[in-house]
Amino acid sequence: MMQLRALLRGVVGLLLAALLWEGAVLALHIRPEYLPRLSTILAAMAATPGAYWDGFLRTLAETLLGFAAGGFVGVLNGVIFLRLPALRDMLFPIFIVSQTIPVIAFGALVVLWFGNTLLAKAVIAFYLTFFPVTVNTLLGLNAVDPRQVALLRSFGAGPGTILRRLQLPAALPQIFVALRLAASLSLVGAIVGEWFGDTIGLGVLLLQAMYNENVVSLWAAILCAAVLGTGFYAVVAYAERRIVFWGAEQ
Amino acid sequence: MQRRSLLAGFGAALASPALHAQTLTRASLRLKWLPQAQFAGFYLAKAKAKGYYAAEGIDLTINPGGPNLLTENLVATGADTFGLSGGTDSVFAARDKGLPIICVGVAHQVTPFFFVTRADGPIKTLADFRGKNLTAWFTGANYVLLGMLAQAGLRAGDFNLQPQQVSVTPFIEGQTDVVTATKYNEFYTLVSRMGRDKLRTFVAEDYGITFPRDTLIVGEAIAKEKPELVKGFLRASMKGWREALAEPKLGVDTVMGIAPTLNREHQEFMLTEIGKLMLAGKAAREGLFWIDQDAIKSAHDFLLRYEVIKQPINLATAYDRSFLDAIALADRRA
Repeated sequence: MMQLRALLRGVVGLLLAALLWEGAVLALHIRPEYLPRLSTILAAMAATPGAYWDGFLRTLAETLLGFAAGGFVGVLNGVIFLRLPALRDMLFPIFIVSQTIPVIAFGALVVLWFGNTLLAKAVIAFYLTFFPVTVNTLLGLNAVDPRQVALLRSFGAGPGTILRRLQLPAALPQIFVALRLAASLSLVGAIVGEWFGDTIGLGVLLLQAMYNENVVSLWAAILCAAVLGTGFYAVVAYAERRIVFWGAEQ
Repeated sequence: MQRRSLLAGFGAALASPALHAQTLTRASLRLKWLPQAQFAGFYLAKAKAKGYYAAEGIDLTINPGGPNLLTENLVATGADTFGLSGGTDSVFAARDKGLPIICVGVAHQVTPFFFVTRADGPIKTLADFRGKNLTAWFTGANYVLLGMLAQAGLRAGDFNLQPQQVSVTPFIEGQTDVVTATKYNEFYTLVSRMGRDKLRTFVAEDYGITFPRDTLIVGEAIAKEKPELVKGFLRASMKGWREALAEPKLGVDTVMGIAPTLNREHQEFMLTEIGKLMLAGKAAREGLFWIDQDAIKSAHDFLLRYEVIKQPINLATAYDRSFLDAIALADRRA
């Protein structure tokens, strides 16, 4: 009931924002080069729905692939680094160096290596997501009370059991903080990846509209990206609430 | 291990478009930008209904470009077979750096951009650029502008030249006095928002400077080992372009089939202007993609004078006309 009401409030908020947008453009005579009417933008999307839908799906696929790989590798890294501190000391500096490379420079290399494939975009999304997940997983795992670990061990639990039963669940709130961040970052990665030569995707639509100064198409692509980003974030946040029911931040 | 093979399998499945006929040679063309009428002829030649590349035995993939891609690098590394690269300037730069690419055809025979001012503004001649705010792309257009202004006796410091960003809105809003515009893209925005009669243009060729652009490039090794592939690619591209220019509606339809969110009116404008650029100068007589050695040399000497390229480049090697020469004149003409 509470949730339904919150959802309803969200919808009303969106509708109000839409009305405000439409009304402000009309009332203040804002020129379409700056901000077109929302109805004009929606009409443009309705005129070529296939292009936007294909772009949406394509970018979604890249985002999900990069997110899944980044999340998985990040958690795996965290566990490995917890077990092998020596490896952590060796690899961590390299990870940090990798993260200081501007993604734009990295993108040009990825195209050379993977060509114009969906994989190339997923790799960029992965590149942006695995590091925050690694750091947060390690942080969460390290924060586990050593006395709890000692207790489980005294009951005869092996390292695998301790990891599954205690350390990973205890680190979950931290991991989900990173996953929420990764949800947005993977979308950014996918869109940036599409700027390195592709025909389908929200990033392609953005780029095309930007350089043709086609403001209506630009806004249409922005709206699609916003829907994708918000939707994905909401799904991750929902999963967090369900899985980490005991200690989620929201 | 399992994960890796899974990922690899997924990647391979996505990377390879279904089936390829065994007899065709696989090749790719890297464009300098996203699909738009600027490349209509290539897309038309590839279109299923036409299949001109397939008829030449080529299974061609057209890869679009982007703002951060250097076509020369992609062709030099073999990531792409052919490239429609920046222009004579970027070919010089690549050869200057020792990249193993050569130019086998030039699409735009003359400078495709010009400098635009307000028709009712204070700028009537180049000398009036003194003390004004100018913007140009710092990827070559800036040198053209400096070269033109030098002829009017102006040097750096006499005016305020800034790198131009994506949008021409600052010029429309009156924040700058001079803006650089390609004849087929930015100029469309300017004309549709300000009106043609409100604009004055300064063309490089009027001041003895010329910058042929949109160069077709290929790796040196492929040019040497597979000359038939290069010739076949050129022949098919010419066929596509001939039809796109003769039937602009077909050309625009083909492009908009690939990128439906484009503005049709803009694309029609673009194709008309691209046609003019491709048939200017000697191309009218010698045919599409003609390599005008005099124009190339003029651009080369100009950039050398401005020390954009450090040493003279062997133009005969960098611009190889033998592939064009091998195609009958009737097949080259638009």
